[in-house]
Amino acid sequence: MLTQQILDGLSKFYPETILSVTILVIVFVELFFKKKTRVSGWIAMAGLAAAMLFTFLQVNIPAQTIFFQMVAVDPFSYFFKVLLILSGFLIVLFTFLSDEIRSSEFKTQEYYALLIALTLGGFLMASSVNLLMMYLALELSSLSSYVLAGYFKKSNRSSEAALKYVIYGGVSSGLMLFGISLIYGICGSLDMFAISAYLSANPVNLITLLIAIFLMLAGFGYKISAVPFHFWTPDVYEGSPMPVTALLSVSSKAAGFAMLIRFFLVAFQNAGHPTITTEGLHQYITLPGLHWPEVIAVIAVATMTLGNVVAIWQDNLKRLLAYSSIAQAGYMLLAFVVVSPQGISAMLTYLAVYLFMNLGAFFAAILISNKYKTENIEEMKGIGYRSPLLCVSMAVFMLSLSGIPMTAGFIGKFYIFSALINNGYIWLAIIGLMNSVVSLYYYIKILKNMFLIRPQGDTGAVSFGAGYSVLLLALAIPTIVLGIFFGPLTKFAEYSVQIFGLK
Amino acid sequence: MNYYEIIFYVFAVLTVVSAGVVVFSRNIIYSAFALLFTFTGVAGIYVLLNADFIAITQLLIYVGGIMILLIFGVMLTTNVTNVEITTQTLKALPATIVVAIVSALLVSTMVSTKWAVKDPISVESTTINQIGELLLTKYLLPFEIASIVLLIAMMGAAFLARKN
Amino acid sequence: MGINYFLILALLLFSIGVAGVLLRRNAIIVFMCIELMLNSVNLVFVSFSSYLGNSIGQIFVFFIMTVAAAEAAVGLAIIIALFRNKETINIDEINILKW
Repeated sequence: MLTQQILDGLSKFYPETILSVTILVIVFVELFFKKKTRVSGWIAMAGLAAAMLFTFLQVNIPAQTIFFQMVAVDPFSYFFKVLLILSGFLIVLFTFLSDEIRSSEFKTQEYYALLIALTLGGFLMASSVNLLMMYLALELSSLSSYVLAGYFKKSNRSSEAALKYVIYGGVSSGLMLFGISLIYGICGSLDMFAISAYLSANPVNLITLLIAIFLMLAGFGYKISAVPFHFWTPDVYEGSPMPVTALLSVSSKAAGFAMLIRFFLVAFQNAGHPTITTEGLHQYITLPGLHWPEVIAVIAVATMTLGNVVAIWQDNLKRLLAYSSIAQAGYMLLAFVVVSPQGISAMLTYLAVYLFMNLGAFFAAILISNKYKTENIEEMKGIGYRSPLLCVSMAVFMLSLSGIPMTAGFIGKFYIFSALINNGYIWLAIIGLMNSVVSLYYYIKILKNMFLIRPQGDTGAVSFGAGYSVLLLALAIPTIVLGIFFGPLTKFAEYSVQIFGLK
Repeated sequence: MNYYEIIFYVFAVLTVVSAGVVVFSRNIIYSAFALLFTFTGVAGIYVLLNADFIAITQLLIYVGGIMILLIFGVMLTTNVTNVEITTQTLKALPATIVVAIVSALLVSTMVSTKWAVKDPISVESTTINQIGELLLTKYLLPFEIASIVLLIAMMGAAFLARKN
Repeated sequence: MGINYFLILALLLFSIGVAGVLLRRNAIIVFMCIELMLNSVNLVFVSFSSYLGNSIGQIFVFFIMTVAAAEAAVGLAIIIALFRNKETINIDEINILKW
């Protein structure tokens, strides 16, 4: 009986198993290839591809939990698995094409093993339905990102970034654990379904529960870099190797969002009461008296406003992208305030779009720093005339991040704001729109430097190899196409809203 | 006061005082050794709470492992003969006030909260059987994932700390 | 003896740890303070576990200890790498990046 259950769980756990095996294979292969090769990178890609294949095979499995209610296999986790694999795949390619990493004297096999471990951690974060499992998944992804951030151990900037990351990470996971321990004390269980059942049936001290939620938000907020847990973001993004920064800004953020959504919706649902339809709107019913959506709303507004306002003053491109990614997290949190399937699907749509535009922006930044040896925006004057393809793609990513129509970013924002307006949060939508206008200023500032100012000094054209251009287009084209043909993406997002345990 | 309470207060005082030394000592070596006493004090409290397995693990992992790691860290990164490294406190007043207010708030809510507990402590002869069984059945997956966490940490730490 | 004694002890330990994180500038001391915070969380878990009569809390503590050891190893490796580069582990002196 027990064995049967474990075997059954294993048969639905292939993607994760494959990633674990990939880590081990990379570690062993390293022993035989002492010289610097790309072998481990190719193995990582093969592992990701195999995991993707087996994830696709899960598409029709009915939503369920496996391994004694530890992780859920449902459309929601499926969405994030696809997203994380895609992002991992692109990051491996970035690493291949980054001069920064190629010129470093270190072997890269640990790098790829850590990258896969981060992806595995993200998989588990997206599917955990038990607080213990959630914590371990979070730590798996955090520990690998600490090491990745400090991967250039000879560089002061990189080691410093890693130290700040690990200190902030340690503190926020400590706070989160304290929150978990309070919830355990209140409910006597770590299982999200049991928590929701207990909270719905018994009167509890709501203030203590709210304190526990605040403490847990430290852990979630740290992963998605929401205010006030964002302090590490600019420094770590600036100091880490650029592909790692891209990885942190997409994979780890997406996994953090997955964990946040699942925890709040499942653990604080009003168990026994099915979700009801009011005025044609399907809405999740949460515990009465517990005002967590309001808390999220405050955090969302603070996050996007701070990100956008501070980004205006930045002249380092990586720091600017760091603040921009803080602001983007704010937009996504806005959609969560609605607590309805419409809001969640808007969030998922935005995350998918964000994958392309943000990774694209980081890839363009990698190429600029490869060729022009600068991260300073002021020194990018006129490079639009020297490398047109690169800068036009950069323009696409910037316009999409700010949400200009005809780009994917517009669709993402449109869905978020319409979810807000549909549910009567017009004020939040207005604040979001105003933020988008502010963000336009700094995105356009980059483009102004690139295109409107004639280059001084060296004006020769700078071109790239074919591989770079193909990858650049592979990110820029979806950013435009998803802005026009967004039907399949939004369908996929609507399908993925099915979270196990919620009706 | 019965023996149980006396022992509790002894360990509680040991824990809190040595934790205070960890934080406020100017000498990093003193901090490291005070931490040893904090860990031991917490282990004592675990015994009072009937958590024999966790108490032993606390001694093995914290006192035996993490503590040694920290002391090595201190020795590798500072000149041991000159322990006067600058550890001036910054922004002391605001930080202290914030911590004091937050902990007062937490204490008052904690005391007034109705926890899902049943008094008094349920006495079992040992918790090891139960923990061992749960680790290999219901908590099998976390157990396995923990091994990956340790592998990653080992790889990462070895990579970062070796010279090349 | 009620559970509140244990909870208040844990809370004191937690506050001391948080105060240390906020006040101290030496990275290794900050790590020690994080260990204090984790110890206090463990204490809360074990108290609840004993008073609830289920061992889930103790299992959680087992995993927290594992992860704490892993985190300490990685953190100290980072400190050593940084020390090689800069010969300081004082957070305020680490200032290429703005703190």
